Amino acid sequence: MSTANGTMTRGNGKRALKLLIVDDSSIMRRRIERSQQFEELELVGTAGDGVQALELFRRTDPDLVTMDLTMPQMDGIECISRLVALKPAVRILVISALADKATAIEAMEKGANGFLHKPFTDRQLNEAFAELLR
Amino acid sequence: MNLSGTERNRQLVTVGMGTVLLALAMGAVLFAGFRIATHMRASITALQTASMLQTYPEEIAHQLNALRDRLEARAYAGQALADLKAAVARLDRELEQLATGSNIQSPELDQALLLWHQYGPVITPVVSFSGQPYVDSDAGGSALSREGRVHYADVKRAQLFASENAKRLQGQLAAVATTQQQSASAAAARLRTLLSAGVLATLLLAAAAAYFRMTRSRHEQAAREAQEQTRDILKSVREGFFLLDADYKIGSVWSDALTRMFGRKDFAGLALEDLLTDLVAPATLSTAMKYIKLLWGDRAHESLMKSINPLSQLEITLDNGHGGRDTRYLQFDFHRVMGRKGVKHVLCSVGDITSAVLLARELHESQENASAQVDMMLGMLHVDPLQLTSFLDTSDTGLQMINAILKEPARTDAEFRRKLSGLFRELHSIKGEASALNLMSIAQRVHALEDMVGELKKKAELSGNDFLPMVVKLDELLAHSRSVREMAGRLTVVKDTDSTAIAPAPTRPEKSGAAGERPHGKSGEDLSPTLQALAERLARDHQKRFRLTLAGLADVPARYLGTVKDCVIQMLRNAAVHGIESAEVRRALTKDDVGVVRVEFRKSGDGYELVFEDDGAGISLDTLKAAAVRKRLISEQEAAGMDARAAMGLIFRSGFSTQDEVSMDAGRGVGMDLVARTVYKLGGKIGVSTNPGKFTRFKILLPAVGAATTAVA
Repeated sequence: MSTANGTMTRGNGKRALKLLIVDDSSIMRRRIERSQQFEELELVGTAGDGVQALELFRRTDPDLVTMDLTMPQMDGIECISRLVALKPAVRILVISALADKATAIEAMEKGANGFLHKPFTDRQLNEAFAELLR
Repeated sequence: MNLSGTERNRQLVTVGMGTVLLALAMGAVLFAGFRIATHMRASITALQTASMLQTYPEEIAHQLNALRDRLEARAYAGQALADLKAAVARLDRELEQLATGSNIQSPELDQALLLWHQYGPVITPVVSFSGQPYVDSDAGGSALSREGRVHYADVKRAQLFASENAKRLQGQLAAVATTQQQSASAAAARLRTLLSAGVLATLLLAAAAAYFRMTRSRHEQAAREAQEQTRDILKSVREGFFLLDADYKIGSVWSDALTRMFGRKDFAGLALEDLLTDLVAPATLSTAMKYIKLLWGDRAHESLMKSINPLSQLEITLDNGHGGRDTRYLQFDFHRVMGRKGVKHVLCSVGDITSAVLLARELHESQENASAQVDMMLGMLHVDPLQLTSFLDTSDTGLQMINAILKEPARTDAEFRRKLSGLFRELHSIKGEASALNLMSIAQRVHALEDMVGELKKKAELSGNDFLPMVVKLDELLAHSRSVREMAGRLTVVKDTDSTAIAPAPTRPEKSGAAGERPHGKSGEDLSPTLQALAERLARDHQKRFRLTLAGLADVPARYLGTVKDCVIQMLRNAAVHGIESAEVRRALTKDDVGVVRVEFRKSGDGYELVFEDDGAGISLDTLKAAAVRKRLISEQEAAGMDARAAMGLIFRSGFSTQDEVSMDAGRGVGMDLVARTVYKLGGKIGVSTNPGKFTRFKILLPAVGAATTAVA
């Protein structure tokens, strides 16, 4: 369910930005991981729920997090609040099937930086990442 | 005039700097003028002094002459000496003053001074004489005293020197005067030039002031025009525009469209929350305010914010001024106005998108209709054309019947209720067949009509007007039925041309109720595909698993075809909803996962026998009684007193159903009573036997075709 590794730099020595993917669907996690085309992003872990995400976050200190909202144990909104409290500079992209704007606004209010609706195309995902990396 | 701010500022700075430079130049001119004037005054004073002093050398020479004459004549010389003293002292003093007092630099003056200083040794002994020049004796009268003689010699020498030098000194003093006059003239010329420069500078200053004034008035004019244009734009633009400040309050400038949209005018300084509070639900308002707060942050970019705008389509109801209320759809758009220190304002535009929303809705509806038609067509492609035509004929008859029932005059409540029951049965029958053929577009419409009848049944008092909406719905249904028939006609053509193997479709297959055409013949219609399709749909819809076995249906006489079909359809629905248990339940009861529903039609004596059997849950008498009590068909006392046979009879009562929820397949209570009525009308019999947990079996006996009473299918 979860992985973690300590690689922090790419072959070219450029400092990579550490990415954590949080989603309760393993298919979705793989999809996000494979579809993003940013060399500077280094996947440091994937988590299937908020509790696991928090634990991995403390261990790997990521710069970027993609966050599902509907998850067992601890939902995305709660998780965002906790992550931002731990590291205010973290950039969080919410990727959720919840289509109502109130949820998106609440996530933004809690500290998310972007919002992407499921289902999404590869292009939409990369655009959302690009916006986050700006 | 349309100057950009920076250009105008640059112009003002240039003009301002020019003015300052001009003012400085003016100061310089005045200062120089003052200096020149001072110099001129000194020159003029020197000129006057020099002019006055010109006469002095001659005068001194004269006075020395006079003094010598006096001494020679032994006359009184005191006065002459005093005059000489005064003249010498004055010349000396004036010259000294001229040389030191004024700032005159003149070689002529220097020479005059030099010469005057040469006067000194000869004239000083004369003027410093203070003794008695004469001695008086009686013998010789007055004679020069010893010191008188010395004095006389001094006077003579001085007189000689003065006579020789008077002209020179005078000439030099005249030269000094001439020099000073020239100097004064030059200074005057300079002053004149300077004054001209001053006048020029003044003129320039005046021009600059005039330019300033002109520019200012031009700017004021431009500003006034711009203001007027802004006002015109705000007055005529169709969107509502305003700026929000950091306190989420509306600014003082806003477009008139807002008044039309919100029916108020007090926007300036109004908090956005106060504007929206009566128009939107509290939850939406709270979301909207959170959203607007986010706009002031630096986290969200424009396109994301646009996509999560909770006010992008706001439904509001407003007083329309004629006593009613109008529903409008407003679209709020927010754009951040950036200043040097981040977000300065948020520009809010409000558009009335009511017509667009309604148009989109219409479009959506027509798209849904179109896709429903496609679905219907696809559904029809799976239906045998013969069956389809047969169904359309039957349903047409049914719909006409419904129309007739609706037109029937009724006054009493009982009559109205009878109408409702009749409508219910007809509708239910059509719905059953439509869903058996998977013609869901028709089934759903009939279901909606059934709903209306159901609502009316609940009403305490009925009137003729209550039935009016049903007439409208029925018209729609008829139109739809016509379009299905039309499409069916086309499909028949397509299928005919597609496959020559199929026999040409009969234009009007026999109606079940149209007795006499082929009363004793086989129907020729195969019910199996219809019933199998229905069984599949029912299994899918109700998450049941069962197998339908059919036997002898090909032998159903045409006269009974409709009846058999209706009865089997209804019993099949009952079996799927009530009879067959879910796979889990069946497994728990050690039954096979897949249930079995068996239908058999066979000859029996002179008549026919239809057996319908399922291996499901059976019928519980207690459940039947409880449902009948709940539906108020019987009282609790009646229920308690009922024997098994009477209780079983409940399932054939009109309005009976054990289902509380109405669905497409059960719950209305017009199922088995319809079956029983049809059977009775044909002179047949119906029986039911059940073993709870094991099976339910219906047996329908139908008389020989010739013996059947005339009935309505």
